[in-house]
Amino acid sequence: MHTTAHLVVQLFAATGIFVLAYYLIVNGYYLCLHILALFELRDNVREASWDQPFRRFSSPFYPGIALVVPAYNEAATIEESVQSMLSLNYPELEVVVVNDGSTDETLEKLIERFSLKALEAEVPFEVPSEEIQGTYRSTKYEELLVVDKKNGGKSDALNAGIWLTEMPLFCAVDSDTIIDRDALLQIVKPFLERPGTTVATGGVIRVANECTVEDGIVKEVNLPKTGLPGLQVMEYLRAFYSGRLGLNRINGLILISGAFGLFRTDVVREIGGYRHDTITEDFDIIVRLHRYLTDEEREYSVDFVPEPVAWTEVPSSWRVLGRQRRRWYRGMVETVVTNRGMLFNPSYGRVGTIIFPFFVAAEMFGPLIEGLGYIILPLAWYFGVLNIEFFVVFFLLTTGFGIFLSWFGVFSEVWSFNRYNDPKQILRLLWYGILENFGYRQWKTLVAWQGLFEYFRGVDSWGVMERGGFSSANDEDD
Amino acid sequence: MQGSVTMGSYIVPITTILIVIGLLVGIGLLVSFALTMGLSVYYKEGATQRDKVRSDVQNTLLSRAFSPEPEWNDWVTELSDTERTVAIDSLAEYLRELDGSEADSLKMLGKELDVPERAKKALERGHTYERLQALTWLIRLETPEPYYAASYEPTTQAERAAVARLLFQTGQLERAENGIELMLEGATGEFSVFGQDTLYRLAREAPDAMFAIGADWYQNWSAPLLAQVLLICGQLGTGVRTADISWLTASLEADDEGVRAAAARALGSFGWRPELRDSMFLARATDDPSPRVRGAVYEMLGSWGDNEGATVLLYALISEDDPRALVRGTNALVQRQEHVGESGPAILGAAWDWSAEHASYDSVARGRTRSTGT
Repeated sequence: MHTTAHLVVQLFAATGIFVLAYYLIVNGYYLCLHILALFELRDNVREASWDQPFRRFSSPFYPGIALVVPAYNEAATIEESVQSMLSLNYPELEVVVVNDGSTDETLEKLIERFSLKALEAEVPFEVPSEEIQGTYRSTKYEELLVVDKKNGGKSDALNAGIWLTEMPLFCAVDSDTIIDRDALLQIVKPFLERPGTTVATGGVIRVANECTVEDGIVKEVNLPKTGLPGLQVMEYLRAFYSGRLGLNRINGLILISGAFGLFRTDVVREIGGYRHDTITEDFDIIVRLHRYLTDEEREYSVDFVPEPVAWTEVPSSWRVLGRQRRRWYRGMVETVVTNRGMLFNPSYGRVGTIIFPFFVAAEMFGPLIEGLGYIILPLAWYFGVLNIEFFVVFFLLTTGFGIFLSWFGVFSEVWSFNRYNDPKQILRLLWYGILENFGYRQWKTLVAWQGLFEYFRGVDSWGVMERGGFSSANDEDD
Repeated sequence: MQGSVTMGSYIVPITTILIVIGLLVGIGLLVSFALTMGLSVYYKEGATQRDKVRSDVQNTLLSRAFSPEPEWNDWVTELSDTERTVAIDSLAEYLRELDGSEADSLKMLGKELDVPERAKKALERGHTYERLQALTWLIRLETPEPYYAASYEPTTQAERAAVARLLFQTGQLERAENGIELMLEGATGEFSVFGQDTLYRLAREAPDAMFAIGADWYQNWSAPLLAQVLLICGQLGTGVRTADISWLTASLEADDEGVRAAAARALGSFGWRPELRDSMFLARATDDPSPRVRGAVYEMLGSWGDNEGATVLLYALISEDDPRALVRGTNALVQRQEHVGESGPAILGAAWDWSAEHASYDSVARGRTRSTGT
């Protein structure tokens, strides 16, 4: 018995040392990313301050962009969304709406609102998607194309749109995403600066809950008053202003949000488009682009641009958020497993040797290890082997440093584009940075473990995103 | 875990390590909190001050701009620092929107606000984007003097483009050709869209010079830069009468498919030149191994707009095996369907039907847009 007790103590001690070492390394990585992000943000802010002295809309050199909008049962919002997208400021724009086998009146609403007529001609080439049942052109808007196809999921719908556009660039957007009027002019910048090498760019996604939206434009930026969406504002700021900017600094961006990303159409077609058997198609496509272009020995860049903004409504209930996050986690594991050949592989440059391994360590294993920590601590206390020093260091490294990194993200927001321009909102954001460490963070580790189990069980469902809709000025009047 | 950690010859108590980590995290938190809140309050205060005066400043600015005697000097001397900042911001906005005598009046205001002097300082001391913004101001104010007065040489392609634009728009270039040379001499990398647009504006003034410079230098350029210059040449249209286009046809044989595609697009405006009508040349172009290039060649043939071009295009499409290149070809051909016999659509089948139906909807929507003015 004495030996068993000794072994337990040793096991706890070894686990404790492993967890502390892990956190020191991962937090050091995050700190480096955040510092790199500051330099990148400084350059971006400087670049954004240059008001280029030419008339964009009379220049013949802007590459055409197709907004590819998958729509599944979006009857309630599709007309307003498409109308808003048709109004975006960009010299050469096409909007390709792909009705992905909706069972509601999505297609009928589009036909009526935009005076759509079905084309008699069949698509004259193979499209890697479920059967296309019809294509529609508008007699009002030359730039609108609607594709009606059998249900095949988001990736499938995106592929249909990508294959049916002739535009050199396409922007993958969710139909419920609100895009700032000038966002396309901003997100396209890397393609304008380095047209030969840029293959993908991503912009910032912000939380639209409680913002005032009129005619598809965010008129007033408000911070959600309720805790859950507020915590997600904090998360999004940290992810975009720190993580992605930092990775961008070293040309190691491996994720562009599926809600708003711009891609070179021909290159995405070359890799076969989006994979159908993945539930996080946005992560998968970027990793595959890195892999393909490196294998082909082509010079390329994947860029993050912090200025253009798209707005999305985030889940406001634990149930829906849990479902979303489990799906994200499952998709991440699945993409990592699929592309495991890149891990520690020097032929993929720094993406293979540093960024992808750190991503896996921090994003995939991080919540699992942290979750274990939350189990080990009470167990160690129960067995009377809890080391108070270990507990304090664990707390400082997870919670203290976590708050510091979150506040770094808020600082970047204030210092750069300052959309939350009221100090009271900033104070609330900082408070969310503290609050998320007590309950929310621990809940996310549980969700990660659930996601992992779902992955092993082969769960591949998307789940339904329930939305409450945006506020408008009229709502306030009412 | 023991009560202390051995670091070389030192024994450091765990408590000390904890206190250090705690202090580091605490100081980090304190500093980031103070910086974030301080900056937020500072920005908010500045924005509030500017918002308070914005309406008055803008109203006065506009009323004076439309007055025959704006007397800017009297007004500017009365402005506070905040009002001056708002005036400069508003000036940038209005200079983008206004033309004619009002714009001329606003340019005078810019000088009274010492914008040219600030631009000169930025050219001498600023980072690259401050220098570019300074050049933007000088372009908007049409004031090249600070550029000449400053000890400054453009260092990047973007700056060279901005300088070329400044000299071009202020009539400082003896010939547009000088601006083209300024931008292209020694250039290796790609231009941004601003650079491309500037080169295009210069080349429109001196298209023959553009082609002559291209003929002399094209072999020194990187593939992306050559592709950009070719795209610009393609935009110059039929204004080019006697220029040497041999480097365009030579570029159709380049290794880089982007260059070949751009060359094909550039040659779309030169269908009347006899050297392009050579059957061997056309056969090589339509047999290009890259579907992307063949698609561009089909568009070139379509844009020639005559029977011969349409016939060559039709025959090339009959043997086209890439469905996407085929559709690009039929898209080009339906624009010239008056030159296509009755058998053409039947031979091209589904691709023709697809292109023809899209073309008809394009014209319906365009007609509607024109008639409604939307």
